[in-house]
Formats: sequence, C-alpha cells, structure tokens
Amino acid sequence: MLRSCTRRWARPVTWLCAVVLVCSVPGWAAARDLVIGQGTDVSHLDPHYSTSASDVNVFFNLYDNLVLRDEQLNLTPGLATSWKLMDEKTWQFKLREGVVFHNGDPCTADDVKFSLERAIADNPRTSVYAALNTIERVEILDPLTVNLVTKSPDPLLPTRLSYYGGMIVPKQYFEKVGREGFRKAPVGTGSIKFVEWKKDERLVFEANKRYWRSPLPYDKIIYKPYPETAARIAALLAGEVDFITAVPPDQVEVIDKSGTARVEGALYAGFFSYTFNVKIPPLDNKLVRQAMHYALDRQAIVKKLWRGRGVVPNDAYPNVDKIGYDAKKSPFEFNPKKAKELLAQAGYKGEEIKLESAVGYLSNDKQLTETVAAMLQDVGINAKVQLLEYSVRAQKVRQKTIEGLLLGDPTSTLLDPDGMFWRLMQPGGLIDYWRHPEWDRLMGEARILQDQQKRDEHYKKAASIFLDEVPVLIVLQPEKTFALKKELQWKARSDEIVVVYDIKPVQ
Amino acid sequence: MYHYLVRRLGRSVLALWGISTIVFGVMRLSGDPAVLLLPQEASREDVQRLRHDLGLDEPLLVQYGRFLGHAVIGNFGESLRHKEPAMQLVRDHLWATLELAIAAFGIATVVAVPIGILAAVKSHRSYDHIVMSLALIGQSAPTFWIGIMLILGFGLGLRWLPIGGRGTVWHLVLPALTLGAFAMASIARLTRSAMLDVIRLDYITTARAKGLREGWVIWRHALKNAAIPVVTIMGLQFGTLLGGAVVTETVFAWPGIGRLAIQGIYNRDYPVVQASVFVAAAFFVGINFCVDLLYTLLDPRIRYE
Repeated sequence: MLRSCTRRWARPVTWLCAVVLVCSVPGWAAARDLVIGQGTDVSHLDPHYSTSASDVNVFFNLYDNLVLRDEQLNLTPGLATSWKLMDEKTWQFKLREGVVFHNGDPCTADDVKFSLERAIADNPRTSVYAALNTIERVEILDPLTVNLVTKSPDPLLPTRLSYYGGMIVPKQYFEKVGREGFRKAPVGTGSIKFVEWKKDERLVFEANKRYWRSPLPYDKIIYKPYPETAARIAALLAGEVDFITAVPPDQVEVIDKSGTARVEGALYAGFFSYTFNVKIPPLDNKLVRQAMHYALDRQAIVKKLWRGRGVVPNDAYPNVDKIGYDAKKSPFEFNPKKAKELLAQAGYKGEEIKLESAVGYLSNDKQLTETVAAMLQDVGINAKVQLLEYSVRAQKVRQKTIEGLLLGDPTSTLLDPDGMFWRLMQPGGLIDYWRHPEWDRLMGEARILQDQQKRDEHYKKAASIFLDEVPVLIVLQPEKTFALKKELQWKARSDEIVVVYDIKPVQ
Repeated sequence: MYHYLVRRLGRSVLALWGISTIVFGVMRLSGDPAVLLLPQEASREDVQRLRHDLGLDEPLLVQYGRFLGHAVIGNFGESLRHKEPAMQLVRDHLWATLELAIAAFGIATVVAVPIGILAAVKSHRSYDHIVMSLALIGQSAPTFWIGIMLILGFGLGLRWLPIGGRGTVWHLVLPALTLGAFAMASIARLTRSAMLDVIRLDYITTARAKGLREGWVIWRHALKNAAIPVVTIMGLQFGTLLGGAVVTETVFAWPGIGRLAIQGIYNRDYPVVQASVFVAAAFFVGINFCVDLLYTLLDPRIRYE
C-alpha cells in the first residue's frame, strides 16, 4: 500500500522538484522579455525620415548600418566587414556574407545602394540628408562590394555611415510594399524583428533568431511610452519595465538607493549652450559676448542643477571629439570682475538682452535659463528670460529669428568638429548668425583633408578664433542618464543610443 | 416635445460648427506645421513644397471652405505626422478614453451618491465633516498630484496595481480613480446639498409623520426630487471626464484622445487636433442633450413644449 502510494506520487513530485530547481536558478535561466520605457512613443519606423531620439533608439536595433560603433564609440564592422580609401573621393566597402533581412531576403549591394540613395534623396529632402549628403553616388562592383564616391574628399564617411541615416533597408521588399506598407511592417537586418505597434501603448519586437552577431537573450523586446518622468521611474522601481531613458539629475539618488535598479550615465557628446544672434546690438559687440562668457559660474550650475553629473567645458569642442579637442586647456573661467571690466570697455548701457528657452525640451532648461539670467544680472547685464513653447522655438530656429540668445543642445554627431558647430553654423546652416572668414576657411578645409594631423591643427586654430569671438555661450557638458534593473549589464554611451544588443543579463 | 428636440438638435449642430471654426482659426494662428514636420536641415524650397502639398499656401477662406466640406462627412484629412486619416487615429484612441471615462464615472457615481446622501442625513455630525473635508481635498488637489500619489502608494509601495499602460482591468483602476476624484468630490458635495434642501421640505415631514421608514423616505421621496441638480452635474462631469483626461492619460501612459490631441497641438497636426476636439465636443453636446431629456423622466413638471 505504502509502496503504491509512493509510486503514485513519485512522478509528480519529481516534476515539481525539477520545476522548482529550474525556477530557482539565479538570474535569467530562461529567456524573458525586455521592456524599455521611453518618454515618448516613436513617430514611425522609417529610418530615413526621423532624427528624433526616441525613434533613432529603435532604428539602431531594427536595422543595421555598414559601420557600427562599439560602447567606446570606436568604429567596428557592421554590415560591412572592411572599408578602405581607394582614391581621394572613393571609399570601398566589403559587405558581410550571409546576412539576411527579417523576411529572409539576403542583404546585398543592391540594398546598400537603394538605402543610401534613398537617404540622400533631395525631392523632398529626407531627415538624414544633411548627415550623408557628401555622397555623390553609389557604385556596385559585385553583390558584396560597393564603392561610395563622394562629392569632395570625405575622411569622415565611415563615421557618417555609423550614425543615423546609414541604416540599410531591403530594396525588393520596400519596392513591393511601398513606403506606407513599409511603415506598417518594417523589415531590417537588426537584432529585433517587428511584431506589432499599438500607437501610444506599446511597440513590440521579437528577437531576430537569425541575427548575424548572435540572437538576443530575450523573447520579446517591448518599447512603452511613459511621458511622465515620475511614473517612468516608479514603473522601473516596481519592476514593470526593465530599462528607462531620460532620468533627471535630481532622481538619480532615489533610483540608486532603491536596491532594485541603478543609474548609468555618460557625458553627452555635445553642449548645452546659448546661440547668440550677433546681428542684434549690443550682442554684435565681441566684448559684451566675452563678458557674458566670464559671468557664468559654471561650476555652481553643474553642482547644483546637475548634482555634479556633468563637466565645465574647456574648449570649443566637447571632450568626446576624437580630433581637435585639447584636454590640456583649463575649464572655462568664472571671473565676474573681468566681465564687468569688459562691459565697461564695450560701453554697455544696460540694453535688454533676451535669453530664450523652451520649457521641458531639454532637462532643466527653464531652471538653467533662469540661473544664467541671474548670473548675468549679477555683473550688471539686463538679462530677461523669455520662455517659449516647443513649436514656437522650432519656428524661431527655422526662421532665424532669435531675439538675443537661444538655448540649444548642439550634438557632435560624428565625434568630430565637423559634426557639430560646422554642421550648424556653416553658411546656410541652422544657426548661421556669425561669420568669420578665417574660421570658415579653416573649418571648410579641415573637413576634406585626409591628413589627420593637419585636420587636428586646423581645428585647434579654429577653436582659438571661436573662443575669442564667443559666437555661442557654451555653458556645460551634462551627463545623460538612464536607469536599469540590477539584473542587467549595460554601459551608457555618449551618443545616447541604446543598443539592445549591449543590454545583457548578469550571468 | 418634437419642436423642442428639433430646436435643441439645431443648437447642438450650431455649437459644433462654432467649435470647429474656432479650432480651425486658432490652429492657423498658432504656427506653421511645415516648419515642425520637416527636419531642421530642410531647405526653404522643401518648406514651400510641403506648404503647397498641404494646401497651406491657399487663402484662408478657401482652406476653411474645404475643411467644412470634408468635415460634414466626417473627413478631417490625413494626420500630418502619422500619415493616417485623422478620424481613424481618433477612433483608435477614443475607445481608450471612453473606457477610462466610463470607469471613472462609474466609480465616482457609485461612491459619491451614497456618500452625499449619508452626509445629508447625518449633516453637521462628525461623519459629515470628515466626508466633506475629504471631498474638498478631492476637488482641490491637482489631478497630477493625485495620480502620482496613487502610483507611489498602490503601484510602487504596495505593488497591488500596475503603474502605466493599458491592458487588463487592473490597469484601469489607478487612472480611473485619479480621473474620477474630482467628479466624485463634486457629485458628493452636490448630492449632499441637494438632499439637504429637499429633506427640510414639508412633504418629507409629512412622509415621516405617516410613519414611513426613514430609508424609504430618503430613497423614494427625497432622492428623486434631489436628483435633478445631481443628474445635471453628473452629465457635465462625464463630458469633462472625456475632455479632461489629458493629465491622467499622460501620468498613466494611457493611450487616449487627450494625449493624441496634446501631441497634435505640439506638432501643429491640424487634422488630428480638429478631429479630436470635434469628437470630444460632439460627446459633450450629446451628453447634455441626453441630460435634458432625462429631466422629463425625473420630474413630470418639466415639459418641453
């Protein structure tokens, strides 16, 4: 009797023990979902028609570029295994063999040509046109070799291809379903494969089992929009999401102390700075601009507003730039006495100077502008804060109608001076207010020099002019912060891209 | 009654026309969507081309005529940002908002009416003071604050309920409570005062003198007569819940038309803003219309002749 009873229970008990054992293996024994909470929902999934951070963060996982960036932002092979300069204007890329799109089509030179030509289409211009418009044409040599011919020598082409706009889409599929069809069911070669999108609710992907690097250790990868910061953080701490973007500096401590999640940050590849409209008096006077440069106690701004998560800049380029940046320079000086002297020298008579800023467009934007205005007032500048709605700001930028100074966050998109102030301030650029023939010459020449040392010298000379002329009031280089569950490993990158492939479960 | 209905319907159509016209005007005054739709690097020609494609370079009257012509058949054009029919987008988001508003309204009514009645019955006693103080808090606390407090308490602290998004019925609880808090407080306060007005009247004293049970007196005689202002405020509150869910939807990441409209405003997405405001206004007008009709059922003295 006892024996039969034992036998009857033996199998279920064994199974139960097995299940308990499997479940109790620490960490991530079985694959699970990865849920990412962003501030906004994506607007669409067409990689050549958006540069907004929440969209680009998804593009970099759904699609691949010819060249990728590693966690230290060094270039690494992506869909191209190697590249070399053939002549002054021709770069040759060898494509990776055996890569397939999510729909099973092989990824070949035809797709590369189609994608890059689509990215540089000018009628109408794509959102990524300016990033890649140095390309003149794409030539196919064989199914796995392409030559990219540039309009003028472009030493930065591989870097350009590693950023937004350089994503490769499948030619055949795109032509079959059209633009609208592609937007509804996008196909790439990336680590995540599109499943469904419920606008403003959730965007669902599954791991691409045929990914050319290695499949992700997750079943599904889900992006959820949490517009409210406090709710986003609470969702992470309650375990509803695994990873969140855009953590404000004052919340870092709360998350780090929670015991369940932690903050990861990296210095932003750019500045928070105010662009001068140098055409308006008294801002047309270099001495007034210099006085404003010396009037700012940047150390206090970093310490109080960013809780120490940022640095005071020391050059015209952020410290992530791989060329031109001089680490030996001292951080920008706070010297109110000198500021007052410069103002007296300039004959400043207390004319009103407007500081314009959107609210909620950048973290701490309103507080920063109010603080900067107070610091300027302390040295006798009649600074007035003008807060703008986001769309009004966009309109002002487009129409070049800044009424004094406008807060912005120029990014060094190529980790090279060419990708920041030259991109924005070149003749016809977005913030083309200030012109200096020598600066124009140096920056214009440097971008087509293949000799790296000469480029570096050009950029260093250009930086001296820039720092003397102060066409932009550089304030700080803040840290961009993210937060994730303790069970995950990941390092933040200066370019703010969240590559899901780099988010790994703790072993 | 028939004439009244026709007149009332006519006025509703007029109100909707007025609202659509105001939204049309305000959106045109507030900025150029072409500037926001195109990337920052776009050329001047691109902006001109897009303005032409969107018909924004035509005289305002021509644009208005076309807008009205299409709006009559429920066509508000294609969303400038999402490249989908605006009405389709509003429909997709409307269910989420309706679900939230109905749940909030349900909670508010079920809780507030009995509380208000009890407060009236026990007026000027400690129960009344406590409940009415709570109602005052519910009415004066910002929705945003209530939402965050509920998230911290039930979502993060106790971990009983999900914090954001839509899915199961549990996802609905916190946003519905947040959205319903104001309505709950208003309905409770109004029910109390309406009931107080009624239970002091002679016919209630008569009913009691007849020896009727107190519960029957309150339920059968007092409540019915106190119901008119309560129904009015409930109708208005339901309309407000539909249109006023923006903050709640943002805090709880709820994919409703409030959030859709706000994003539409930021992006100057005319068609989406026009369609969402129109739909919200149509609901508001429709609910008021129904409330007016309810009056006749509640109070036979009201005749619409």
